[in-house]
Amino acid sequence: MNSTILRFFSAGILALCLIPGANAGDVVVIANSGVSISAGEIKDIFLGEKQFAGGTKLVVVDNASAQGGFLSKFMQMDAAKYNNIWTKKSFRDGLTPPPVKSSDAEVAEFVRRTPGAVGYVSTTPTGVTIIQNP
Amino acid sequence: MVNTGNVSMKNPGLSKVPVLLRASILGVLLSSSVPAFADATSDSMKVMANKIEALQNQLSQMTSGMASHSGGDQGLPLHGFMDVGFATNTMADPVAYPTGFYVGSLSFYLTPHFGDKVKALFEPNFEIASDGSLSTDLERAQIGYTFSDAATLWAGRFHTPYGYWNTGFHHGAQMQTSVMRPRFLDFEDKGGVLPAHMVGLWGAGKIRAGAGKFTYDVFAGNGPKIVMGADPLTGLGIQDINFAGDNNHQAMVGLNLGYEFSGSMNGLRVAVHSLRGDVDDDNALPNKTELNMVGGSLVYLENDWELLTELYRFNDNDKSGLTGSHKSSASYLQIGKSFNNLTPYIRKEVANLSQQDNYFSMQASGQSYSRELLGFKYDLDPKASLKLEWHYSNFQAETGRTPAKYHSLYTQYAIRF
Repeated sequence: MNSTILRFFSAGILALCLIPGANAGDVVVIANSGVSISAGEIKDIFLGEKQFAGGTKLVVVDNASAQGGFLSKFMQMDAAKYNNIWTKKSFRDGLTPPPVKSSDAEVAEFVRRTPGAVGYVSTTPTGVTIIQNP
Repeated sequence: MVNTGNVSMKNPGLSKVPVLLRASILGVLLSSSVPAFADATSDSMKVMANKIEALQNQLSQMTSGMASHSGGDQGLPLHGFMDVGFATNTMADPVAYPTGFYVGSLSFYLTPHFGDKVKALFEPNFEIASDGSLSTDLERAQIGYTFSDAATLWAGRFHTPYGYWNTGFHHGAQMQTSVMRPRFLDFEDKGGVLPAHMVGLWGAGKIRAGAGKFTYDVFAGNGPKIVMGADPLTGLGIQDINFAGDNNHQAMVGLNLGYEFSGSMNGLRVAVHSLRGDVDDDNALPNKTELNMVGGSLVYLENDWELLTELYRFNDNDKSGLTGSHKSSASYLQIGKSFNNLTPYIRKEVANLSQQDNYFSMQASGQSYSRELLGFKYDLDPKASLKLEWHYSNFQAETGRTPAKYHSLYTQYAIRF
């Protein structure tokens, strides 16, 4: 009886530990199949510092459902800092912040169909290029 | 619908058919009709699936189009800043707000993009001057062409890209920590001694170099002229940026070369800058001064710290009176640290401006001064801030100038949208 209870609580604790990690760790950056970029360029791309890949204009899109995990994992910043950087960049350089999609499905569809598109999702879709899948 | 009970009653002969035979017939009928029904269902489902897919495609294209219009290349994003506040001081500041509530500025900026490489930036600004009059200004009207990540060329009217503050914050009061700009870097009619705006060409870009990035701004445009009598308090002059053409046909040129660090030094940027050109005033016998400014800036914005410092050294040459060259300098250092939403900060400004130099002596704002400043910024949310700021200013006794020492207190409520 005691061993059953112990196993039950162990499994519960393990599940609690795994759930938040899976949420942040599963974010992957995806690009349209015609885009050639490297994982090391992701930060520059999402901050508007890299706007072209070869001759292709990059079309960057944010994902409201996965933004927290993406920013902490790939950008090492929170949403407030990310938005502040974009406000300054838009004001000084005339750049436009990435439009925000609401779900993985929307981002995947947009990236699949838009030449130069780059986004991120928490579930890996088909028909796109995976830039980094940890 | 088949009602077997009624059929049985109307066709009594059927009741004589053995139950087993009827069951067999029903079985044969069913066994032959199920595949047919299944095929028909399968075809219908395929048609339905195709229709759903077509609808999905149409919806996707519509939403993609809407997204593109709202935040992509074809829309007209509108942003802006506004601030209001209250000011008081122990002596009338010649250029800052007199005691009482004030409306600062309402500044809009639009960033339309046209295709992949053409973009524009427009910034109409509405501002209440210290005499209460409303001034409307086209702060920026610039059209750019992006050749690559390393090169964008702008043409039009832009914020002159020296130092950090002038292009980093300008009318964006909510973005900057303090209420007031460093005085010598303020706008031309607010106490600044440099042309904060320019009409001309501006090339800018970033190039990866090592772990960080090399940044550059190179610009050339109409040099300003000093319009004498434009300041009603002193009768001295204020810089006019020559919006519609260069009065002396001498371009003003400048550059700002920097390096942005990354890794453990992420957030640090160091840069050198220079500005050179001839500036005339409109006296009956005009003074012509060759402005030669060199300096540098250091900015650190990371780990909740804000450190800003800029240095400007002048070695101006009198080209009309032949009095030789005159040295001046101006600098500031501002340090702030954020504790959640609260950011206390301090700043020291010093400007030693030679009154032998016509460039400064002809300007109402060309008086030497020092200023200490202490303030607090509280972010109500990421787009709204409350600020409280105290100044102690000391304007020096110089030829043709009135010395002044006074305290000022400012509050500001600033938003961005």
